[in-house]
Amino acid sequence: MISCQHIDKKYDTVRALHDVSMSCDKGEICGLVGANGAGKTTLFKILLGLVTADSGTVEISGDGAKKIGGIIEKPALYHYLSAQENLRLFSKMQGANASKQAVKVALKQVGLPLDRTDPVRNFSMGMKQRLGIAVALLNNPSCLLLDEPFSGLDPLGIEALNQLIFDLAQQNQMTILISSHIIDVLSTVCTNLSIIHDGEIVQTGATSAILDACTKGYTLCGSGIKNASFLSEYHALTNGDCTTITASANEISEIIFKLSQQQIGITSCKPVLDLQQLFNPKQK
Amino acid sequence: MMRLLYIETYKLFRQSRTYYAILGLLFIEAIVLLSAYYQGTEIIDIVLANLKDTFYFQGNLINGSLIIYFILNSFWFHVPLLCMIIVSGMLTTEYEEKTLQTVFMQPVVKWKYLLAKYIVASLFTVLLVLMLALTSFVLSYGIFGKGDLVVYTNGLTFFEHDDAFYRLVYAFLFGSLSLVFFSVVSLTFAVLFKESFKTWIVAALFLIVSTLLLKVDLGNEVWNQIAFFKLNNTWQYFFNGNIDWKAITINSVLLGFYTLVTMLVGLFIFQKKDIG
Amino acid sequence: MKRLGLLLLFLYATSGFCQTAEAQVSLVKSRLDSIESFLADIKLHVDISFIKMPDKEAQASFKKGEDVIITSQDFVLIPKRGLDLSFSELFEYPFMAIDRGKIEGQSGSLLSISILPSDTKADFSVANLHIDTQKQRITWAEINTKKDGTYTLQLSYPDSKAVLPTTLDVSFEMDRIRIPLNFAGSDVAIDRKKMRKTDQKTGKITLTLKYRSIEKTE
Repeated sequence: MISCQHIDKKYDTVRALHDVSMSCDKGEICGLVGANGAGKTTLFKILLGLVTADSGTVEISGDGAKKIGGIIEKPALYHYLSAQENLRLFSKMQGANASKQAVKVALKQVGLPLDRTDPVRNFSMGMKQRLGIAVALLNNPSCLLLDEPFSGLDPLGIEALNQLIFDLAQQNQMTILISSHIIDVLSTVCTNLSIIHDGEIVQTGATSAILDACTKGYTLCGSGIKNASFLSEYHALTNGDCTTITASANEISEIIFKLSQQQIGITSCKPVLDLQQLFNPKQK
Repeated sequence: MMRLLYIETYKLFRQSRTYYAILGLLFIEAIVLLSAYYQGTEIIDIVLANLKDTFYFQGNLINGSLIIYFILNSFWFHVPLLCMIIVSGMLTTEYEEKTLQTVFMQPVVKWKYLLAKYIVASLFTVLLVLMLALTSFVLSYGIFGKGDLVVYTNGLTFFEHDDAFYRLVYAFLFGSLSLVFFSVVSLTFAVLFKESFKTWIVAALFLIVSTLLLKVDLGNEVWNQIAFFKLNNTWQYFFNGNIDWKAITINSVLLGFYTLVTMLVGLFIFQKKDIG
Repeated sequence: MKRLGLLLLFLYATSGFCQTAEAQVSLVKSRLDSIESFLADIKLHVDISFIKMPDKEAQASFKKGEDVIITSQDFVLIPKRGLDLSFSELFEYPFMAIDRGKIEGQSGSLLSISILPSDTKADFSVANLHIDTQKQRITWAEINTKKDGTYTLQLSYPDSKAVLPTTLDVSFEMDRIRIPLNFAGSDVAIDRKKMRKTDQKTGKITLTLKYRSIEKTE
């Protein structure tokens, strides 16, 4: 479990964080959503012990020498060493098992090839992310913090990383906290969300509840969607095979039912969020 | 702590720039060796010109001992400069590539991590000096042979080969203390400035100013004795007729003290500073 | 008559003393000429204020009619002048010997004689010698050369019969050393005032000779 209470942090005259409190339980995947410069990375640095908060408390439960591991922004590795050498080095420095076998297990856990001996500078972004996670997982921490882990990844990379995060939470019962400015990705993987805006937590709760409250419409895609004339009641805007409608979470089930009755198949149904509502829930 | 020392040593010798620096130093040494030979011939001729009125000379003063002495004299700028660049890079690179963040997301004690860097930097500097000393001894004696050493320190002083050999060895050894001091200073600058270029500029400036201040009379006997920039030529004491071991010991202890203080300042600041 | 007597006495005295100086020199010369060759181990001690040099060892070999040859494995400073133990350079050309009288304060038998070469080819202008008339050898010499300045020799002998000295102090004048500044140890302070004061220096080299062999004519 990881939690922080009333965290404040100021850099000169810039208020990075103000009265930030959040928590994430064991086995949960929690998301922290915010625009660039909202304070996500600063909060993560405080949680990881890299930066000292001006006030507030951080509590991380867990056994062992290393309670928390993480990646801040891009994974920072020794580019002139290979993946095995990086893992061995980071293992050794914290007194963890640095044997060849242990390194192999770590590489396998994140889906990296065992036979690559070239330096990390030759790796793709996705592979570097995986290796960064492998380093973060050294010494079996109970919590994992991933700051913008999806940036720079292609769709396949995102999918693979999602799966890895799922597996870690399910199988290892790790507490995982992920930050991103891309809510679409977080909404599929996180059970809980906290929204941060201008250094303050503006909303926190179950992902579905937060998204439902901010949904102003849906984008439905399907080859016959143009034929669904009833959609015009919902201020439909059609673009090719996709139509964006204004509808609430309560209405979408009925809309999908009507479409199925008309034999109109849909390939995707993505909510359209009211970002103002998301980041400024008090302003309605 | 031993683990951290091993890791720092491992990282240092896995980076190509370390080898570029070593090769660079050897290349500079070769140039100095050649120029010392040609310049030395002229200088000896000038120095001995008016002795030639009164004396014949038996034996050759352009020998390995003299060449090593010239190499030693030319040591005290380019070697510490290269050391400072390599050593400061041990930390600035980690700041710039953010591997320092990755390190401190592991359960590693900050001051111990930096202390390991200080220790490895110091040992590396000593190793460089030993390497340069060894190569200069082997090459100089191998090519130019043994012989008496003549130096000018308020008069001409001649040392027989065996005596000269030990004085040159001691000069390298005690001179390495000065180089270790500069290395430690550069690492402390790296703690303060974090960026490579800024650190290099400040370190180079520090070296230049120290070299210039060496010749400045501070007007106070005590300050002339204890100011850190006055201690960097202690190696020259070995080329006085009688070696003043007391003065050398005092200077070395003082230099060690300054090195330690600089290290402690760096450790304190690093421990207090946030990472990232 | 009285005056004539005094004049005769004076002439006798002066002619007698002139003969004594020349005779003394001849005696010494003949002794020195008896040395055909010698081989000696030398220890050289340099006593010059601005030169610090450890004592050096060398070997000296001499053959009559040739210069003394010094050889050494170390670097040694060999004085250009003063190694002519046979003083052959002084007696190479015709000369006039002038009696300067006895030396006060020494063991009674020392006589001061000046050697003036008659031939302009000689490379010295005047040489002042102290001769031990009893032991028939030179104990001190001051030689004013035409080109190489003045140097003095102080000779010490092992016993009353020895022809060759075992200790030889060669003293000479030296000019200020000119040192290129960039030769100096990188941070040596050059004391220019001190250097200026020591324009004319006197140096001394002491040679201690241990003879391995001396060949003489019978």
